[in-house]
Amino acid sequence: MKKLLLVTLLVVLVAGGLLFAAGAKEKERVIAVVPQQLGNVVFLPAEEGMKAAGKDFGVKVLWEAPTKAEAQLQVEVMEGLIERGVSAIAISCNHPDALAGVINQAIAAGIAVSTFDADSPGSNRQFFAGTNNYQAGYICGEEMLRLYKDHKKDRIRVALLEGIPGAFDIESRKKGFKDAVAGSNIEVVYEGACDDDVDKSVIIVEDYTRANPNIDAWFMAGGWPYVVQPGAMPEYTKWKQSDPQNHMVVTMDVFPSSKEFFDMGLIDSAVDQSFYDMGYLSVKNLLNVLDGKPIEGLEIITMDDEGVVYNIPSIDTGTRIVTPDNYKTEIK
Amino acid sequence: MVDQSEQGLVKIKKAPHFLKNWATSIVKSQSFRIFIVMVVMCVVMWIISPPFRTSTNILSVAKNFSTYAIAGIGVTLVIITGGIDLSIGSIFGLTGVIATMMFAKFNIPAFPAVLIGLALGTLLGLVNGLFVVRANLPPFIATLGMLSIARSLAYIITKGYPVVGLGKEILFLGQGDILKIPTPIWLMAVIAIIFSIFLNKTITGRRIYALGGNEEATKISGINTDRLKLLVYSIGGCLYAFSGIITASKLGVGQPTAGNGYELDAIAAVVIGGASLTGGAGTIAGTVIGAAIMGILRNALVLLSIRSHWQQFVIGWVIIIAVILDQLRVAKN
Repeated sequence: MKKLLLVTLLVVLVAGGLLFAAGAKEKERVIAVVPQQLGNVVFLPAEEGMKAAGKDFGVKVLWEAPTKAEAQLQVEVMEGLIERGVSAIAISCNHPDALAGVINQAIAAGIAVSTFDADSPGSNRQFFAGTNNYQAGYICGEEMLRLYKDHKKDRIRVALLEGIPGAFDIESRKKGFKDAVAGSNIEVVYEGACDDDVDKSVIIVEDYTRANPNIDAWFMAGGWPYVVQPGAMPEYTKWKQSDPQNHMVVTMDVFPSSKEFFDMGLIDSAVDQSFYDMGYLSVKNLLNVLDGKPIEGLEIITMDDEGVVYNIPSIDTGTRIVTPDNYKTEIK
Repeated sequence: MVDQSEQGLVKIKKAPHFLKNWATSIVKSQSFRIFIVMVVMCVVMWIISPPFRTSTNILSVAKNFSTYAIAGIGVTLVIITGGIDLSIGSIFGLTGVIATMMFAKFNIPAFPAVLIGLALGTLLGLVNGLFVVRANLPPFIATLGMLSIARSLAYIITKGYPVVGLGKEILFLGQGDILKIPTPIWLMAVIAIIFSIFLNKTITGRRIYALGGNEEATKISGINTDRLKLLVYSIGGCLYAFSGIITASKLGVGQPTAGNGYELDAIAAVVIGGASLTGGAGTIAGTVIGAAIMGILRNALVLLSIRSHWQQFVIGWVIIIAVILDQLRVAKN
């Protein structure tokens, strides 16, 4: 009997708390920023940008995301934010189509919504802040072409590392890369998926490089292996240092830990999207939207997605290319 | 009355009989069958993929599966009692960041930092056990809750940032070697031997099997089954933590996302190794071989340039076939 009473009391308390919390809508202005996944190091600069903008403009900011990079989980986060009555949301979409519905739902509820890093062109969001992933991948392809422009080999064989197979942003980068090198002597001969797991990324790179020491180049569609120390990748290090003029590495993303890899000559080009600016400019311009002011730096980019043409209101946060020549100033 | 010379003759006559019984029991065991499967896989890979044969590759495969094996040994004890533990990956991740933070941010020497991580893992395992034993929660639910709790703590403590700045004292665990064999392999071997002896040669070990075989009968016979459960969950937590710390050392970074989904890999290793999810059966050797099979499969997919999409497909089928074969063996016996 005592146990039953205790359990009932507990349930009532928890339910009451939840109901109270649910009923309590945000009273002040709150801007929520929703990356694809919590704990993904790539998005951490966006969180810093968000916080800096919150401080600079005196607005409360929230960092909310699912624990896994899944569209359905992200939809649930968005629905929660709509219920909370936040003023604005900036979101990096796990999938452009899967998030369009909930984005429009938020807009219908009077919430200003923008996207960053990964857009949802079919939705009614106010603007997109970032660099298109396809374009980022294309730049990586151009960098690979640049690195091999003086090489006379008939065929440059490239191994590619990706994250979760089929993930929209990585697929866009891969497509961009392959389109950039199409028609050249550069060819992707292997694609390994690490499921966004850093340990697995290291195992794949190490195993493949050990088995194929004659591979010419690596393209990392995400910077997972560069979160670790170079000592964790002896095969890769041996391969790269055995022929630094002919064994090339191009990677997306730059982390503070990338510096050690550059110090050892283990990266030739890293294409970095400015996540800090994405976070900062998203918050800044969502505030502009809420205040009825113009969006700064806005331009309309036309995108043709397999026959469907989109006019995308964009704030270009640019990319930077980090090489052995400039990494000491670029990586803080 | 048997004189000394006849005693010696009796002993000599019994020796081959003893060896024959020992050899027969080995051959009939599930571990042996799985061992044969592993050998066949290695032979096939040896033939079709020259890079597989190199000592560097074989040591690398062993180094990589050793962390799964250590975590698998932890959950083997739980599964033998008829329980399950879904919090493996989360405890793995949380303790990895705690141990690395102790070293990198609070300047605690490597050995105490590792001990703190292990103590935390043991504590979390004990909490799992208390949920099961005192709150009477099904192990699935109790450890599912801990999965979320431990992972959230990892994010909260690190704010999502990886822990960097690991010095060579702690890197030795994951990146060092002894007599040219990577340290993780030695650690796996030592742990496997210790827990194999524990399960097979100690009274507590036999009681763990008895508990999994028939909990009621074990209780009635006067054995404190609650204490046994607390013990296995605590040991499990400690070994998941050790696995997480070795991985953090191997990579040179503690990550709050480390170990995501590893519970499935660890449990798969145990099941492939012949443990029964209903309890009462399972061996440390089987778990290690199960982890080895998964490590070899992963390595094979990369060496043969097979797309990673097939990895989970293949591992899923290996699990199902392993369980079917085991059920056929049990039915035959």
